[in-house]
Amino acid sequence: MAEHVILFAGPMGAGKTSAIRALSEIDVVSTEAANSDRTVADKPTTTVALDYGEIGINEAEKVRLYGVPGQRRFDFMWTILAERAEGVLLLVNADADNPVETAIEYVKEFFALYERGGIVIGLTRADLVPRALIEEYANALADEMPDVMIPVLTVDARSQEEMMTLLMTLIANIELKQAVADSIGVGVGSGGRRAR
Amino acid sequence: MTLAPHLDSKYIVRGELALGGLRDLAPSLRYASLLTEDGFSVVSVAGKEFDSDRFASMASSTQALADAVARELQLGDNEFVIVAAAHGHVVQVRVDDHPLVLAALFTDKETIGISLTAARRTARRLNTLLMAN
Ligand SMILES: Nc1nc2c(ncn2[C@@H]2O[C@H](COP(=O)(O)OP(=O)(O)O)[C@@H](O)[C@H]2O)c(=O)[nH]1
Ligand SMILES: [Mg+2]
Repeated sequence: MAEHVILFAGPMGAGKTSAIRALSEIDVVSTEAANSDRTVADKPTTTVALDYGEIGINEAEKVRLYGVPGQRRFDFMWTILAERAEGVLLLVNADADNPVETAIEYVKEFFALYERGGIVIGLTRADLVPRALIEEYANALADEMPDVMIPVLTVDARSQEEMMTLLMTLIANIELKQAVADSIGVGVGSGGRRAR
Repeated sequence: MTLAPHLDSKYIVRGELALGGLRDLAPSLRYASLLTEDGFSVVSVAGKEFDSDRFASMASSTQALADAVARELQLGDNEFVIVAAAHGHVVQVRVDDHPLVLAALFTDKETIGISLTAARRTARRLNTLLMAN
């Protein structure tokens, strides 16, 4: 059975845990702890190790979903989980301070996974702010990393349907990259173009 | 809004008291940290060579993963976590009634049994200390 391993990354409160819960077909393994940092995200709990869920996209393909803690103090979990992943579904909450800069910062953080498979960005909680134009994100990314192709969509992390669309976009990108690599006979990730 | 434990002098002062007692119970203690379950260091003792923030974050993840395994296998509440390595061991216990974890690193001079007993007693003592106003 073919497998995809996808990492859900992005800042605390963006909706990584919500998204994995909305998507997973199995009971999600979660590691929530009481949140002592209500100023960053006002919610009762926060992920401190990982979220894990699974979905079958058809008879032959399974997707493993791993969510990481958003806070940088848990970046050792980012490293551990990024090793197994083929792509990143990056969620950024539009109601945070400087969401555009945050998106770019996380793209850079996980750039090795862009080269290996792909990254897509889901802009969440856009309903809570007066304007969250995805063009702003796309333009900022294009300025910062001209050669990089990263789709940006507005999503509600709680919506199975919307998250599925974003996930399938990412998987299509990964499969395309793998097909190209196979046809020219190089390993994915080797010789890829770097940002700047 | 209530103050988070790592910012609350009540937790800090009583935590220091409890961790000081841990050292007396187990002299081979190399490092100990009282942390919020989401990985903020409240207080730590000994071991200047350790990064207290990183130790607290890792202890928080380890605790949550061990708890998740116990839950997944329907084993009831997880009581403690032990990481036993060639040159020492880490013992972690939760502090009852509070969102806190005690994590302590001992050298290989201590037996795991003694370390575990010392850590559990310290967590109980802290619970008692926190009950007083
Ligand atoms: N209004 C609104 N709330 C959302 C949306 N997406 C997620 N949320 C909420 O935002 C919070 C995200 O928390 P969580 O999933 O724990 O975020 P994590 O830290 O990234 O794992 C939850 O309370 C969700 O219900 C959205 O598009 N709109
Ligand atoms: Mg989470």
